[in-house]
Amino acid sequence: MRIVDITSALVMLAVSAGVYIATRHLPYWADFAPGPAFAPFWISAAGAVLSLILLVGALRRQASPAGDWPDRSGAFRVILAAVGLWTVVILAPLIGLLPVATLFMLFLLIIVERRSILPSLLTVAVTMGLVYGVFSAWLGIAFPKGMLGI
Amino acid sequence: MLDTLLSLGHGLDVALAPTNLLFIFMGVCLGQIIGALPGIGPSAGMALLLPITFGIPPATAIMMLAGIMYGGMYGGTLTSVLVNVPGEAASVMTAVDGNQLARQGRAGAALSVSAIGSFLAGIGAVLALAFVAPALAEFALRFSSPEYFLLAALGITATASIGAGSPLKALLMAVLGLVIALVGTDPILGSARLTFGTSELLDGIDFLPVAIGLFGIAEVLNSLERSFDTNPMRTRLKDMWLSAKDWADCRMAILRGGLVGFFVGLMPGAGPTVAAILAYVTEKRFSRHPERFGSGALDGVAASESANNSAAHGALIPMLALGIPGSASTAVLLAALVMQGIRPGPALMTEQPDLVWGLVASMFIGNVFLLVLNLPLAPLFAALLRIPYEYLAPGILVISLIGAFATSLSLFSVGLTLFFGMIGYLMIKADLPRPPLVLAVVLAQLMESSLRQSLMLSEGSLMIFFERPLSALLFLLVLASLALPAINAFMRVRRERHHHNSSQFTFTAK
Repeated sequence: MRIVDITSALVMLAVSAGVYIATRHLPYWADFAPGPAFAPFWISAAGAVLSLILLVGALRRQASPAGDWPDRSGAFRVILAAVGLWTVVILAPLIGLLPVATLFMLFLLIIVERRSILPSLLTVAVTMGLVYGVFSAWLGIAFPKGMLGI
Repeated sequence: MLDTLLSLGHGLDVALAPTNLLFIFMGVCLGQIIGALPGIGPSAGMALLLPITFGIPPATAIMMLAGIMYGGMYGGTLTSVLVNVPGEAASVMTAVDGNQLARQGRAGAALSVSAIGSFLAGIGAVLALAFVAPALAEFALRFSSPEYFLLAALGITATASIGAGSPLKALLMAVLGLVIALVGTDPILGSARLTFGTSELLDGIDFLPVAIGLFGIAEVLNSLERSFDTNPMRTRLKDMWLSAKDWADCRMAILRGGLVGFFVGLMPGAGPTVAAILAYVTEKRFSRHPERFGSGALDGVAASESANNSAAHGALIPMLALGIPGSASTAVLLAALVMQGIRPGPALMTEQPDLVWGLVASMFIGNVFLLVLNLPLAPLFAALLRIPYEYLAPGILVISLIGAFATSLSLFSVGLTLFFGMIGYLMIKADLPRPPLVLAVVLAQLMESSLRQSLMLSEGSLMIFFERPLSALLFLLVLASLALPAINAFMRVRRERHHHNSSQFTFTAK
């Protein structure tokens, strides 16, 4: 957990520095009132101070409990699911959000989780039926359609 | 008193309308199921289902979402008792004794006392809410911008100091939430901030992609790491009856748990999980059989379950009366109000009586529904736990993406939701708390606007935060909430040093 805390502190230190740098061109005080850079300045200052306290505490700590990290197969499942999710966003304008979401579910159930085909198909049918019924038919939301027009 | 009763009567009229009854029922059923699923909590469920409320009137939507919130408190019991995995965090103490009772063949008694305790504590908390919230709202009408700034700041700092886990990490995550809320257009002068030339960011980062990502997607990704093929213990309807002795053992536990839960629920940041733990510890002190705690104490189950439901209802008081959410679930509820075009704050109770009193009355009805669902129908819901979680996870992910799209009709929002999903997953792994971040996103705009308005009024003088007794009191509370974790850490170090020194002395003496 020590390494994780050090990493978290460094990331937050970088975020705080980034906020300060990206907003320093804005006025801190405008006429008689705080300007748009007022809040970013104090938030980045608070972030930097807290990150430094976390960093120093983690560096001074000797023993630390191990974090709850997945084993190799668990990590592989999480990575495949994350890649699948980003693929949905990238492919949605090309083949439509609902068709790509259907393919994603099948990929996750059959390939990643290695579930039987029939129950997986049933799960996908029920979920997509529910999604179509609620979002398309009831709420009238027009989802991005792909080249196939669905 | 009479006004409150009249308002409650009016609220019952609203809540008993057939559409509202249907949505209250749907809300509590969904809450029961979401609470029972180990991978997803009530806040995640509420955030995921928030987009489907766009097609229904605001009062109905809020009644349904609140139903998910307190329904989750009942649902979490099933998994805790029958599988020994807390369905949601607030049922963590129930898993300790509830599962031990199930192993002794008393699963029915544990589920029954949980349902009855949750019901009685829930009804008591709603009654208290009906009387406390209007008085608090009336008092809060005296608040001006300095008080609002300090109240929002207190919401964030108290979350960090009272909530479970490291206060330092909680404060750091609150700062990250404030950074996320900075993105967009400055609320007073309209300058673009942290948009990096992206036009989609000019309107700021909406609350929903953050909440759906951090709670929904992150929790499902985390649960995909390991298999959830559970084998819940069986329970039968005839086992659900409590004996007279059981009832005698538990009635005071329910009362104490309900009271502890209600007061903890009122505090910003504490929430149902802290309430359940505190009630369990308190009950152990009062119990006639403290030795049973940890190996199957029915009164321990009664106290923690009464406390978590009472806290879930109590947390609505600051949200309804002040517009300040004290927990992740009430933050989602507050966001739902804003998305429905309703301005939260002390005037809400007078401006939207149908919504507020309809919500209060709906909680009486919802708790009755939940009692029925959890007593005779508990074995049916227990059977739902036999569905492998792997079949549910892909569906939850797809509903998250579709819901994110539905909020803004843009794939950019879906990408943003995924981004926050990844951040949320890393936060779980790094043991960084997510509720302070979400609370900060919700409170940031109120905090910044009221701070800048205050300094505008005082022409830059910080004295405006101490001049009025109310603001001075709030300022002291903010300072105290910041000092509390530091004092605790100091005392812990001192205790450890003392323990180390005394053990060294004993060793030398030998």
